[in-house]
Amino acid sequence: MVKFGIEFVPREPYWKIIYYAIQAERGGFSNLWITDHFNDRNVYVTLTATAIYTQKITFGPGVTNPYLVNPVFTAQAIATLNELAPGRVVLGIGAGDKTTLESVGVEMQKPLTAIPEAVDIFRKITSGENVVYKGEVFKTAGAKFLFKPKGGIPVYVGAQGPKMLELAGKIGDGVLINASHPKDVEYAVNCVKEGVRQAGKKLPDVDVAAYTSFAVHEDLKKATKAAVRVVSSIVAGSPSVLLERHGIDVKKAEEIREALKANDWGRAFGAVTPEMIEAFSVCGTPDTCVQRIEQLLKSGISQFVVGSPIGPNVREAIDLVSKKIIPHFKK
Amino acid sequence: MDYRKLVETIPVAKRETVSNKLIDLILSSKNDEKMPSQLASTILHHWQNDILISESGLTALLEAAALLEPEKTIEAFTQLELAGLAEQIKEVATKT
Repeated sequence: MVKFGIEFVPREPYWKIIYYAIQAERGGFSNLWITDHFNDRNVYVTLTATAIYTQKITFGPGVTNPYLVNPVFTAQAIATLNELAPGRVVLGIGAGDKTTLESVGVEMQKPLTAIPEAVDIFRKITSGENVVYKGEVFKTAGAKFLFKPKGGIPVYVGAQGPKMLELAGKIGDGVLINASHPKDVEYAVNCVKEGVRQAGKKLPDVDVAAYTSFAVHEDLKKATKAAVRVVSSIVAGSPSVLLERHGIDVKKAEEIREALKANDWGRAFGAVTPEMIEAFSVCGTPDTCVQRIEQLLKSGISQFVVGSPIGPNVREAIDLVSKKIIPHFKK
Repeated sequence: MDYRKLVETIPVAKRETVSNKLIDLILSSKNDEKMPSQLASTILHHWQNDILISESGLTALLEAAALLEPEKTIEAFTQLELAGLAEQIKEVATKT
């Protein structure tokens, strides 16, 4: 049976996120992901509050990156969280966002090397090992915790491109596929399957999640309006090959990119077309969302992540997912 | 203002509706910085235990709503036909 996850962005104060987290847990969500961007509130402080106020939901950063935060610090934070909420903590890790990293002068160095190295260091040090590591990107000269960590923390690798998806399938206990359209998710799952095959695993051994941009409301127009902001950013950041796969005019995408750079939100949002909404979000009434999730499930995902913006009113949207979407998949 | 005394005047039958309305006001407020951390903890503690419609839960919600969104809180109570409450909140809101 498919699991439902939910993503929160700690741009909101912790008390709003924790309110929604409790609501989501009560409403049948099994996973909670908190985004990690230096310009939002801190992911681990938010996750600590999550640990304290929830009882059973599984949670973790969705996703952190090894460039801005060294893997040993990530391991320390996750291991400590795992003491607060034993067995409920996972690590979500990916290469991060190039633009954000550049804004703090950090280079996204060799992501296809850096991610497996970071995961390796994470697993070793959270197993209590004294880690001497000579990687291409990361090196440790005898790193060991002075406390006894509870190991075995699942690692989810966030991925979008084919090589990273393959790698994620190979090394991850889970994969977070950054896509919303069945075509993209199917393509991604096939890449993951290749990695899984190379590692001698089977697909059900890996929790494969579609990490979507999601907006639900009983009124389709309101749901669509909520999705526009997020979709405009996705379109602006998408490579031409992805836009063309969905028949999206590359010039239109460029127009949105320019408008966003100029902070001209009206022009950027106004240029978002229904095709873009369709390609880069799961958006609509509960019924239309159910249909889209059913399509996504055919590609072999095991977790559906309700990502930002969730809906025009987050509280109402969580209720709608809990009462009208999740029950449909528990029948 | 003694918010507890105000809450005691809310008819039991209306408490769930009032609680829902106040939660919406608080969660959709853009005045996040006005929320005292202790009050946020109290609200979350009540939500965690699913007792936001208790008198103590409603008291915390009312205090938060009045701090973050005084005008909308007054309007909400007027719409909920709790004009007396709206008046008392208005009195305090105009003084602060």
